Amino acid sequence: MIELKNISRLYRSDEIETTALHDINLTIGRGEFVAIMGPSGCGKSTLLNTLGTIDRPTSGQYLFDGVDLAQLPETGLAKHRAQHLGFIFQSFNLIDDLTIYENIELGLLYRSGQKGSRRQVIEAAMDRVAIGHRARHFPHQLSGGQQQRAAIARAIVGEPDLILADEPTGNLDTENGAQVMDILHGLNAAGATIIMVTHSPSHADQATRRIDILDGQLVTSVARVL
Amino acid sequence: MGRSTFIAFYRSFTRHPLYAMLNLLGLSFGIAVFIALSLLYRFETSYETWSPERDKIHVIGGQYFFPGMPDDIFIGSMGGLLEEMKAAYPHLEGVRDWSNPVTVHKGAEVYAEQIELVDANYLSFFKVPMLHGDAATALNTPNSIALSEDKARKYFGTTDAVGKTITLSDTEGRKAYTVSAVMRNLPKNTDSRLDFARLLTPQRMSAEENWHEWGSIQLLTYFKFRDPKQAATLQAQFPAFVNRQVGDRFGSDAKGSDVLALHLVPLADVHLIDPQQKAAIVSLGMVGVVALVLALINYVNLATARAGLRAREVAVRKTLGANPGALRRQFQGEAALTLLLAFLIGLSLVELSLPLINAVGGLNLRLDYRSEGLWLGGILSLVMVAGLIAAIYPAFALSAFKPAQVLASSRTPAGGHVGVRLREALVVMQFATVVIAFVLMIGFMRQIDHMQKADLGFKREGLLLITSARDPLISNGQRAAYLTAIKALPQVKLASIGNAIPADQESVSNSNIVRPGQADSATVSPTVNWSVVGPDYFQLMGTRLVAGRLFDVRYGGDQMWRDDADGREAADVTNVIISRLTVRRMGYPSPQAAIGQTARFANRQVRIVGVVEDMRFYHPASEIPAKLYLFDANPQNSPVIFVRYQGLSEPQMRAKLQQVWRRVAPDVPFEIISTTANLDKYYKPERDRSNLFSIGAGIAALIGCIGLYGMAAFNTSRRVREIGLRKVLGASRDKVVRLLIGQFLRPVIIASVLALPLAWLALRQWLSQFDDAIAISPWFFVLAVGAALVIALGTVGGLALASASTEPGKALRHE
Repeated sequence: MIELKNISRLYRSDEIETTALHDINLTIGRGEFVAIMGPSGCGKSTLLNTLGTIDRPTSGQYLFDGVDLAQLPETGLAKHRAQHLGFIFQSFNLIDDLTIYENIELGLLYRSGQKGSRRQVIEAAMDRVAIGHRARHFPHQLSGGQQQRAAIARAIVGEPDLILADEPTGNLDTENGAQVMDILHGLNAAGATIIMVTHSPSHADQATRRIDILDGQLVTSVARVL
Repeated sequence: MGRSTFIAFYRSFTRHPLYAMLNLLGLSFGIAVFIALSLLYRFETSYETWSPERDKIHVIGGQYFFPGMPDDIFIGSMGGLLEEMKAAYPHLEGVRDWSNPVTVHKGAEVYAEQIELVDANYLSFFKVPMLHGDAATALNTPNSIALSEDKARKYFGTTDAVGKTITLSDTEGRKAYTVSAVMRNLPKNTDSRLDFARLLTPQRMSAEENWHEWGSIQLLTYFKFRDPKQAATLQAQFPAFVNRQVGDRFGSDAKGSDVLALHLVPLADVHLIDPQQKAAIVSLGMVGVVALVLALINYVNLATARAGLRAREVAVRKTLGANPGALRRQFQGEAALTLLLAFLIGLSLVELSLPLINAVGGLNLRLDYRSEGLWLGGILSLVMVAGLIAAIYPAFALSAFKPAQVLASSRTPAGGHVGVRLREALVVMQFATVVIAFVLMIGFMRQIDHMQKADLGFKREGLLLITSARDPLISNGQRAAYLTAIKALPQVKLASIGNAIPADQESVSNSNIVRPGQADSATVSPTVNWSVVGPDYFQLMGTRLVAGRLFDVRYGGDQMWRDDADGREAADVTNVIISRLTVRRMGYPSPQAAIGQTARFANRQVRIVGVVEDMRFYHPASEIPAKLYLFDANPQNSPVIFVRYQGLSEPQMRAKLQQVWRRVAPDVPFEIISTTANLDKYYKPERDRSNLFSIGAGIAALIGCIGLYGMAAFNTSRRVREIGLRKVLGASRDKVVRLLIGQFLRPVIIASVLALPLAWLALRQWLSQFDDAIAISPWFFVLAVGAALVIALGTVGGLALASASTEPGKALRHE
């Protein structure tokens, strides 16, 4: 499904050049649940952003189902994200001015080829994460765990091929973190491919594969049998 | 425009009411000023549209080139011009309108009215809208009269007055006329007054001795052309025509066209023929445009500042697949909704404030949605287009945020140095405009105050002018009897008669004056404006004598000649008094040097016996004319009676004078005006325009404050953590307040520095129109900058204080 070939990402300022990713080669198959680990500043989020096409690699090839995304223009990448990707963030990134329903609806707004009525699809997504009773509330009226469940509903409402989760439990307590992990497992079991950045070894252990990054380089990639 | 656009627009009001209201109010105020002033501009430039023939009709205007006299274009001509032009150009289609005073009798009551003596085809020429009667035939007979629906109601109680009779008195005597037509009332945007109209008869024309007197101005002569090229072709032939017709009327050494230029002025241009008035209207229109631009600047400023706060939303939308185009469309959609709402609020503000605007601006504006729908649609389109162009920048700024960077940062982006500088530059522009407006406002007020209080060379207070004394129905005997009677009133300090009248140019005459041995030429000799005054005129006016003596009835040589049989012989030398300016124009080294000198004036010999101070009778923008006064113990040339009174209020004095009038001349309506009221017609338009400008400037200042507040609020919200850190490091609240206020006021100070030279130039330009202008004082600028700083301080002071008061612990937790 995903093939990264010699991906590098450099950040240049007037005086400093920083290598965030260095010559990354990685293949991820459909249905995998991949955990990316590493210390702060090692390039985990840069890798996830590159996979999510919101950051472009300085060099290398990014093939998604055989299509070289590096060659796509900005509008092509936007379409790719709308059709194939779902994002989950550590700080939830729900839009404050929209209700939970409207936040989840955003996941369909830029996507074409939706099956069934929009309302039904949104309600189904809310039911999957048990947030339907909060549909008319605004994000600040919800607990952290509820906000993250709503963010997950937004990520999955369009039934994306790939879910990218950037420390999805980082801002949650243990109980809510466990709930979120359960939901991700459920999604993976239902066929979704998930790539998750995490600092938590226990959460990483729940993935089917663990990738470790250090100083922008892939250190290990270990497949696990659960 | 999608649902998400509507949601975002709606939520901006429910979730961020302060920002949304600042943005909306700023825009609404700007749009309101723009609508109100464009309404004014449209009104002023739509005069005479009541006539469907407006664009084809031209009126004769003229321009005199007399030494020392202004050469502005005036509207009017001698009475016989139409015949002379038709003789030269037989294909011409033209009419005349000669306004005359008339007395209408209704039972025992008499009413002063104005009647238009016109050619028979006048009503059909203009296609005057008729209520009853036939425009083509209504004025075919001398005893027919057409009147307006208002006058029909006044005199007959109904508009259905055709066939009824009405009795009028004028120079042709007292006669009954049959109403042949009732004209619809003309709208407010007209200089035409069509209350009464009747035929200009050959008898009336032949009774007028100046009918073919080139140089005289009696009436309005109109011509109609199928297209403007015909008018231009005719205009090109005017100099030769004038030379032919005038002959040596202006002297053997001067061609007619050296002294007089005829013009064909399009009817549509007549109302604003005065370049100063036109400039004033255009300037007010510009204030409207500036207010709109300031409001749009505000919108851009607040929208870009808020863009930073919406960066995370943009980033999330982008990760969900929104492309920049879709985001720009969304933000443009939100801008369109904001503009639409602001337009509706602006329109409502105009509706609500129109009574006030009309009161302070001396206007008659109103919004008529049926007839003005297209125009309002045009304004809406203009506002939307201008607004959406202005919204392009915030939309691009927003859609350009890079999601990876925004999502990785806990801070909201500010749009970088360029964005910050741009916002500051916009606030500088706004406040520069505010400071310029304040300087102009102060200058306008000082100049208007000066005009109303300046020494005019005579005492304007406590002076009444009885204008009914020049009614053609008044006999010389009645005039003299009335003057004698009112002199006996104990409150009348002095009473006199004459036609040198403040703010009244009805009987203005100009002639050359030639010193012995100097060239006698219309184009070279000094020209003086001359008037006839009776006994005690100068004493009554309070005119200062500079040299020689004033007129005195005891000197036989003071009495001017008369053209009738009782007059003095032409060979006699007549004593005259001249003004100080005339002394200079005639080339005397001093007023004393002029005393006893003789000169040739109006084909007579005159001797200068006195020099008086210049008196400013006319508009402060007009130069004081060089003046010559003739004395007549019983002036008969359209004189008014002057009354200097004491010990009574003006209404009480008027009532007493009216009582006497009723006794002496019961058949002539009594008309009286105070000199201050008469002069006020020059000051009122300036005052009205200044008021309108002040309203516009005040709202511009308000919009500027909204912009400054928006910028300060945004900057403060971004700097909470920094303020907390400063306090942790030992900064006191006062120090932080001073730091913030200093930074907030920086654009205002820069704006003031930039604005001052521009304000000086603008004020100097405006003042240059006045002959009697105030000097520009540095205090104007100090006051304007001070006011701008105080307003700005009031706007951001509270914000700075609140920010500086935040507890450091709380501030450091702020995101």
